[in-house]
Amino acid sequence: MSTLEFFLAGTFSAATIFLLAALGELVAEKSGVLNLSVEGMMAVSAAVGFVVTYETGSHIAGFAGAGLAGVLLSLIFAITAITFLANQVATGLAVGILGLGLSALIGRDYESLTIASSAGINIPVLSEIPLIGAVLFQQHPVVYLTFLLALIIGFTLKHTRLGLAIRSTGENPHAAQALGFPVFLIRYCCVAFGGLLAGFAGAYASTIYTPLWADGMIAGRGWIAVALVVFGTWKTGRIAFGALLFGMVSLGELIAQSMGAGIPSQLLSSLPYIVTIIVLAVISTDRARMRLHSPFSLGETFDGTEGR
Amino acid sequence: MNRMSKALAAIVTAGCMFGTAQADTLEIGVLLPSPIADVGWSHALNEGIAAVVEKYGDKVNVSTIENIQEGPDADRIMNKMIGDGHEFLLLGSFGYMNAGLKLAQRNPERTFLHASGYKTAKNFSPFTAKYYEGAYLMGMAAAELTKTKKLGVVSAFAIPELISTINGFTLGARSIDPDITVDVIWINSWFDPAKAQDSAKALLAGGADILFSNAQDTPSVVTVGEEAGAYVFNLNSSMKEYAPTKYLGVVKTDWAPFFVASVDAHLAGTFEGANEWLGMDDDVVVVEDWSSDISSDMMTRIQAMHEEIASGARHVYDGPLVNQAGEEVIPTGQRLEDGAILGMDWHVEGVNSPLPK
Repeated sequence: MSTLEFFLAGTFSAATIFLLAALGELVAEKSGVLNLSVEGMMAVSAAVGFVVTYETGSHIAGFAGAGLAGVLLSLIFAITAITFLANQVATGLAVGILGLGLSALIGRDYESLTIASSAGINIPVLSEIPLIGAVLFQQHPVVYLTFLLALIIGFTLKHTRLGLAIRSTGENPHAAQALGFPVFLIRYCCVAFGGLLAGFAGAYASTIYTPLWADGMIAGRGWIAVALVVFGTWKTGRIAFGALLFGMVSLGELIAQSMGAGIPSQLLSSLPYIVTIIVLAVISTDRARMRLHSPFSLGETFDGTEGR
Repeated sequence: MNRMSKALAAIVTAGCMFGTAQADTLEIGVLLPSPIADVGWSHALNEGIAAVVEKYGDKVNVSTIENIQEGPDADRIMNKMIGDGHEFLLLGSFGYMNAGLKLAQRNPERTFLHASGYKTAKNFSPFTAKYYEGAYLMGMAAAELTKTKKLGVVSAFAIPELISTINGFTLGARSIDPDITVDVIWINSWFDPAKAQDSAKALLAGGADILFSNAQDTPSVVTVGEEAGAYVFNLNSSMKEYAPTKYLGVVKTDWAPFFVASVDAHLAGTFEGANEWLGMDDDVVVVEDWSSDISSDMMTRIQAMHEEIASGARHVYDGPLVNQAGEEVIPTGQRLEDGAILGMDWHVEGVNSPLPK
């Protein structure tokens, strides 16, 4: 495999972690709930996914367990922030830290163990095409499913009644309630869906992308996913683009080093974060448009009363 | 109510007695930066402590606290260990240095060992391994097995300890075949398995066919080597089980002799803090688990070099040493000073990647 092939093909698999988690966070935020515990949810589910896969030998079981773990942790957040009206930012951070601690506990006896990654698929004929074959037709099924999911979520949010219900809940929960939408139920489901996808992202990280368990292995990728949602101005297409860009930057850094580029590696290591800051600054300059994209009631608690 | 408070008082007294009644046991406190796994840095330190326990049995009582991040949390735990009456402390990470030294100065009758640091006190010894000695031998083996004449290193932080290890590896390889070059990727983390694996793959894609996992505590790089069919070696503890067919060997650290000697000295009251820089002649750096693919001819040469280095007849940093810019740093017949190795901030000729400044 040439460096270019590795770079382009690796970009997709690196992007999948970011994209899965970011899509989940997007749905939660679209319903008006800012859940900052993505990093913690990913860590717990990475641990659970690894342990289950290690014990059963089945990656599917690992993904199921990880998804469940993500949902459970997101429900702790939802009960606190939606039912008991706690501040969403503080709750999200607290649950996130809880998740990091739990992941260390769950993975304790599995530290530094490895499992076999499940193989990618090889689409016949197409995968033989030079360059494009390796990049587009030899990925792991989860990679394809994730990008397909991005399409589905984008379509659902934009063109279906369910999407309308979620968006109106996020824009103005009072109005949504007046219209007869079950605001609390919608928010619970959206947060749980976010937990599910964060769980899948964790399982992908610990059983397919890097098939081993080590405490702290998520290493900030959950935070990048949260940033990606803003980066993509709450639009699935842009989020997918952002995820690819981040995947590219995180790999490009390593390749630039191996090719002997004379750029300080510390600078390269911080490149994904620098890119986030620049993009956020650029897209935030137009306040009106920023406001248009961001769910209006994002981060505000809703107590079920008639309005302000 | 009265009965309950009595019961409580009894428990408290029992607790106190339990805590203080064992004046003749040596309380050893161990602080480790990562979880004790089956492999890796904390594992190697833990094995060293196990040797102390084996020798002294009931006469020592070890409490180990693992996975403690460098910083205020570590300081707090060290203080508590002192408060709990630990007489002998092993601090397992570079970042514990300043807080540990302060505690040592405040508690002159207690003994401290500190990994990787450079500050010393009467009762405070930093210890480091001369990894470069073992890496030199690994370089010789790699030179025989490489086909592309390009070796890849995935490395944590650009600190002297790791830089001198990469240089030792490069010198060893080029002592066999001067056409060999070495690519290095710094991932700026002790701990990011995903990034380590991506780096290893990037190195392979760039043409390297031998991998060196420099101070990565997880088998991340080692498993990539096995999967891709590239020989791979690492530091601290053997990871052969993760690469059964492609494991080149391990530059192991065996802290047992040093830890046992330190505990001996502490008990005899003769402990003296010093900068302990230990290598093959101290039996601390041990190279083993050699791949059977290395020819017996090369193994003989490696063994001979091993003896020369251990006996001091030869030094890895004997001149001529040339840096990346092609300038001669040390001429033939001279040797790089210890201080220059401990503070190394340059690469030798043959390392392709520029050193991050």
